[in-house]
Amino acid sequence: MSVAELKERHIAATATVNSLRERLKQKQQLLVDTDVAAYGRSQGRSAISFVSTDLVCCRTLQGHTGKVYSLDWTPEKNRIVSASQDGRLIVWNALTSQKTHAIKLQCPWVVTCAFAPNGQSVACGGLNSACSIFNLNSQVDRDGNIPVSQILTGHKGYVYSCQYVPDQETRLITSSGDQTCILWDVTTGQRISVFGGEFPSGHTADVLSVSINSSNSNMFVSGSCDTTARLWDTRIASRAVRTYHGHQGEVNTVKLFPDGQRFGTGSNDSTCRLYDMRTGHQLQVYSQQHDGDDNDIPTVTSIAFSISGRLLFAGYSSGACYVWDTLLAEVILNLGELQNSHEGCISCLGLSSDGSALCTGSWDKKLKIWAFGGQRRVI
Amino acid sequence: METESERMATNGEDAEPEARPQPSHPRPLRRTGDFLGKHRLSAAISRLNQEIQYLQAELDEIETMKPSSEACKAVVLSTEGKSDALLPVTPGPENPAWHRWFQRVPSSHSRKWWTHKGSDVS
Repeated sequence: MSVAELKERHIAATATVNSLRERLKQKQQLLVDTDVAAYGRSQGRSAISFVSTDLVCCRTLQGHTGKVYSLDWTPEKNRIVSASQDGRLIVWNALTSQKTHAIKLQCPWVVTCAFAPNGQSVACGGLNSACSIFNLNSQVDRDGNIPVSQILTGHKGYVYSCQYVPDQETRLITSSGDQTCILWDVTTGQRISVFGGEFPSGHTADVLSVSINSSNSNMFVSGSCDTTARLWDTRIASRAVRTYHGHQGEVNTVKLFPDGQRFGTGSNDSTCRLYDMRTGHQLQVYSQQHDGDDNDIPTVTSIAFSISGRLLFAGYSSGACYVWDTLLAEVILNLGELQNSHEGCISCLGLSSDGSALCTGSWDKKLKIWAFGGQRRVI
Repeated sequence: METESERMATNGEDAEPEARPQPSHPRPLRRTGDFLGKHRLSAAISRLNQEIQYLQAELDEIETMKPSSEACKAVVLSTEGKSDALLPVTPGPENPAWHRWFQRVPSSHSRKWWTHKGSDVS
């Protein structure tokens, strides 16, 4: 067969793929007969009610000299690692507000960090296209710095997010500006699998976020500048299991829902969405009118669910931190308007492992811990 | 993202060697170039055909898929009956550790503690 004939076949096959994808999207939309809020109201559910003093800022962690970009809690309750524009990782005891480690990074442009499941190591990545691992028990060097114990190289673009596989100290997943995610063996520094890239069903733009399913750690979700989220099975790197459409802007953040069957997303289109993993249905859009002019629509930078899933926390570039009632799709509180709130973009947030506290990180260089300080009724 | 094969397809490699004046570089290079171009195109077509099969399977699957109301019901049910420290009304049991954020914490620096009303005293 000649090159010309092959090119014709390639064009035809591409057209078929595009047409099938369009048909799939249309059929998917026809199956969306309700959303979570409409269903919840039909079942008589009413929104959670907070008074303004229920969720309070009970700690402010100060020490970074630049914007905070990322944070992660340990699986055991109280420690947090944060990454900042100041080129440092800081490990905090959130209960005492004290810093237990401050790691000055060789490449200062760090944008993501993660705690290992055993709390003994931290990982970080950024504009050096690599992911660096530090063992917190290492002997410090002459300058008082913790030496890097492993560097994971192989991405051909910035590393935007990293997460350890739950209960596996030696496995980590990164996402990158090279449009792929990679599963790594941290001990050997080797790539185990590359998700996306040259294959037709990978992301087609930078991948900004990953979230691994703690109920089934073979599955993870990624969010991308191509406005989609994708579900991956770590055992099948060649193809995304499913692609989730709906957002009108880059998907900055993804987070598994506590039941392990759904996941949330946050985007530059200023909305959060809830998707059903198995069917691909978009179950709910969380969208709110924001103050300010139309040219200044705040982006959703980060999300987290409370431990039951009833609350969805969403951080915005405006400094707002909305607490959504997940079921009724209503904003029930804005942490950005409370006493002692941040004074800038909320760039990251995360829940402690027992769900008793939320940590937020901001461009105001601080981290804050929020907990329920009101009158709780236990039923 | 433009695939490598799409890039090659637009680079004008479709003229048969015999239609052009003899090149100054040795013939085997041109044949190798054609061979590589065909090989890459074939591989790309193969991947696209595989994708077509996957998409057909998804279209078949969607015919038997339940509407979103089923999943919405599951979401509502999954949030109930789980104790949640950040909710004003929650099923038990209440974990005493939830209160640690408002309790006296021994500190080597000073007697720092936080009131139950949550003011950040530092």
